[in-house]
Amino acid sequence: MIVAENLVKEFRVPERKPGLLGSLSTLFSREYRLVRAVSGVSFEIPAGVKAAYIGANGAGKSTTVKMLTGIMSPTSGRALVAGLEPYRERRRNAANIGVVFGQRSQLWWDLPVPDSFRILRRIHDIPDAVYRRNMALFRDLLDLDALGNTPVRQLSLGQRMRAEVAASLVHDPKVVFLDEPTVGLDLMLKEAVRRLVNHVNAELGTTVLLTSHDMGDITAICDRVLVVNHGEVVHRGTMHELLRTADTRAVVFEQQGERDHAIDLIEKGLDGASAQPLDGGRIKVEYPVARWTARQVMSFLLDHFEVTDCVAPEPDLEMVLRRIYAGQVVT
Amino acid sequence: MKRYTPFAAAGLQGLLQYRSTFLISAVTATTAVGVQVFLWRAVYAGRDSGLLGGYDLPTLTTYVLLAQILGLVQANRVDEEVSGEVQRGDIAVSLLRPVSYPAARFAAGLPVSLANATLVAVPVLALYAFLLPLTAPTWTGVLLFACSAALSLVIGFGVNLLVGLAGFVTTNIWGVRVVKDSVVAFFAGQVVPLALMPGPLAAVAHALPFQGMIDGPLRLLLGRYDGLLGAAGILAAQLGWALALTALAAVAWRAAVRRVEVLGG
Amino acid sequence: MTPLATAARYARLTWHLSAVSVHRLTEYRMDFLLGAGGLLLRVICQIAVIDMVFRQVPRIAGWHYHEVLFLLGFSLLPRGLDRMFTDQLWILARKLVQNGEFFRYLIRPVHPLFSLLSERFLYPDGVGELLTGAALTWYAAEHLDLSLSAAQWLLAPLLVLCGTLILAALKTLFASLAFWTTSSFPALYAANQLGDFSGYPLDLYHPSLRWLLTWLLPYAFTAYVPASYLLHGHTAMLPWLFVVTAGLVMLALVVWHRGVDRYEMTGS
Repeated sequence: MIVAENLVKEFRVPERKPGLLGSLSTLFSREYRLVRAVSGVSFEIPAGVKAAYIGANGAGKSTTVKMLTGIMSPTSGRALVAGLEPYRERRRNAANIGVVFGQRSQLWWDLPVPDSFRILRRIHDIPDAVYRRNMALFRDLLDLDALGNTPVRQLSLGQRMRAEVAASLVHDPKVVFLDEPTVGLDLMLKEAVRRLVNHVNAELGTTVLLTSHDMGDITAICDRVLVVNHGEVVHRGTMHELLRTADTRAVVFEQQGERDHAIDLIEKGLDGASAQPLDGGRIKVEYPVARWTARQVMSFLLDHFEVTDCVAPEPDLEMVLRRIYAGQVVT
Repeated sequence: MKRYTPFAAAGLQGLLQYRSTFLISAVTATTAVGVQVFLWRAVYAGRDSGLLGGYDLPTLTTYVLLAQILGLVQANRVDEEVSGEVQRGDIAVSLLRPVSYPAARFAAGLPVSLANATLVAVPVLALYAFLLPLTAPTWTGVLLFACSAALSLVIGFGVNLLVGLAGFVTTNIWGVRVVKDSVVAFFAGQVVPLALMPGPLAAVAHALPFQGMIDGPLRLLLGRYDGLLGAAGILAAQLGWALALTALAAVAWRAAVRRVEVLGG
Repeated sequence: MTPLATAARYARLTWHLSAVSVHRLTEYRMDFLLGAGGLLLRVICQIAVIDMVFRQVPRIAGWHYHEVLFLLGFSLLPRGLDRMFTDQLWILARKLVQNGEFFRYLIRPVHPLFSLLSERFLYPDGVGELLTGAALTWYAAEHLDLSLSAAQWLLAPLLVLCGTLILAALKTLFASLAFWTTSSFPALYAANQLGDFSGYPLDLYHPSLRWLLTWLLPYAFTAYVPASYLLHGHTAMLPWLFVVTAGLVMLALVVWHRGVDRYEMTGS
């Protein structure tokens, strides 16, 4: 559904000088430098997949999304969304996609939200049944009615984001691009947005491309992950595969005996592992996968302690990503 | 005083970033002067007598030109900045700073006035001085004008601050500013000197504070007053209005602060 | 889609947008009154100046009081219409490219220019200007005992339409410069400001200025040329009016499209 082939994007950026003297000097001249925001990105996302597009700030995420939505044309390379080159056939592509750019509004700035939807309905030629079904869904999940007749420019970020997400989905797009879709939302509404996206994906097979700094969004929505760094894809695969690249694993368990003694025992017995006390008498053991297998660690614990409860949490996504950005893992 | 210098620097820096505003101001002033000058030249051409309301053509041309220049200098962006802060809700943050907001705004507006005076007013003045015959003022006139222009800055600032605070009352600041730009400019004598207005209109204009922004200073500059007493009268009226508008702005600002405290912006 | 179907689709969309906008007008009555009232006051100030002028002389550059008022009123008709439909171009010139918000017109399945204009459709301030202009034109025509020929009646609406198109094209042209300079507000503002000359008889001005207002920034065709025709039956410039309108509209669309292409290249 989404294909990127060697996408490259370069910009000329004006140099700004700081301070009063600096702004005086820009009165007379400006200097530029060339920035390569995306350097040869290739990937493919099949229909119906919910993919996360992850990268540190300035990794070229938004630029890539802009090229896929037709807002920007690549310097070289090619993109295909639902069979169209977005920047070549922008208007036809626009009918196929929905977009949320968290920081920027796509709504009619001076109009109240209901009016924006009235217009969207017309410009997308949405059939009555579809429009009614979707609006009922949005009302239900996002409480759109609460936004009332306030012009968009006067809404708070959280209020606006609800309308933005709804606007991106109202025409049953084949592909939806979500860039920071839950920014400014409280926990309840974040949850609602995630439910809505998952619901639409399950019901209509909508393909989802998500970029977010909120790891909660990614884990709650996405089944596929692309990690970009310095304009290149450095990891692709399922969420599970990404997490497996972590170099340590953890086990949290509860036991009967004295805790300080237990911690001592673990750090001596399992070379390279660390143990920390958690609340409620629990102990968290972290061990390097290169040195110990899960089986070895488990049998050590069962041999030495009266284990009453035990969980093995998923590796921390942020930690995994930090290692990838730092260039310690290439997959 | 020292606490307000950062605001002045920021005001100037903000202006320099939008170097285009100088161009805007220059074109606006040039156009406005052009329309009026051509209009009045046609009037003088169609009359036998060389005087209109006591002005001959070069003096009236000088008046029309300097009226726009003075208007430029009083355009200190305070109305824009304040209404913008009100609409974005940033005004609440301003309450956290350990300075008086109106004073800080004045400090930020002053360098804008100075920059407009040097970077815009001088070229426009030079252009028209080159194109048209003007009347040179006397030294007494220049001296009186300097005092009067300083007072006119205070009056202009008060008016702009009040317009900016209107953002609390309406969202259509553009509408308020159109009213300000046309009505205030008209009664200030920025378009036509008060001496040329028909009796009742002139009486209204004299009763309003706005004449102290343009007509007052220019009458002093061009020597159109009755002796020392007349000059003192013009300055006194300006001073009175400057104080009254400062007080009014202070009251409006109080009300605005209370509103922010209650409604949070 | 065939051109006809496309035209029908845009006509339908325009209809729906108007419905939404009229609905909004009634909801923000205060804003509307303020904007309309502001423009009304501005016109009243202009009339006051004209009044003062005619206190001194019976006519200027061959024009009588009510003829000048007719010209001023007529100049407001295309201005008002233009403001009603194209106000969003100001926002484009000012900041839409600069802050990246222009993207939203590229992700809607309609022409980006249409999409842009849709955001301030039937802008209330323009309605006020149009009504003021109509009232002033009518008032002046009454006092002049103006009797138009059949041809003049037929052409009058067309002249207003052409004037509107000229203004809209100029605005599009200068606003589109923002695609290259990120903000073209000063250029647009300056160009718009020069339009202030067009509310008065061009005979007042120096020939060089008159030439500029006729051929470079053709504001002459939005008021002076049509008013001269309706008042005095001057037809010499009329053919040029249509040529200039068509040429300017085409030029504006070309520059707009080039600009959008460039925006796609740079994203800013």
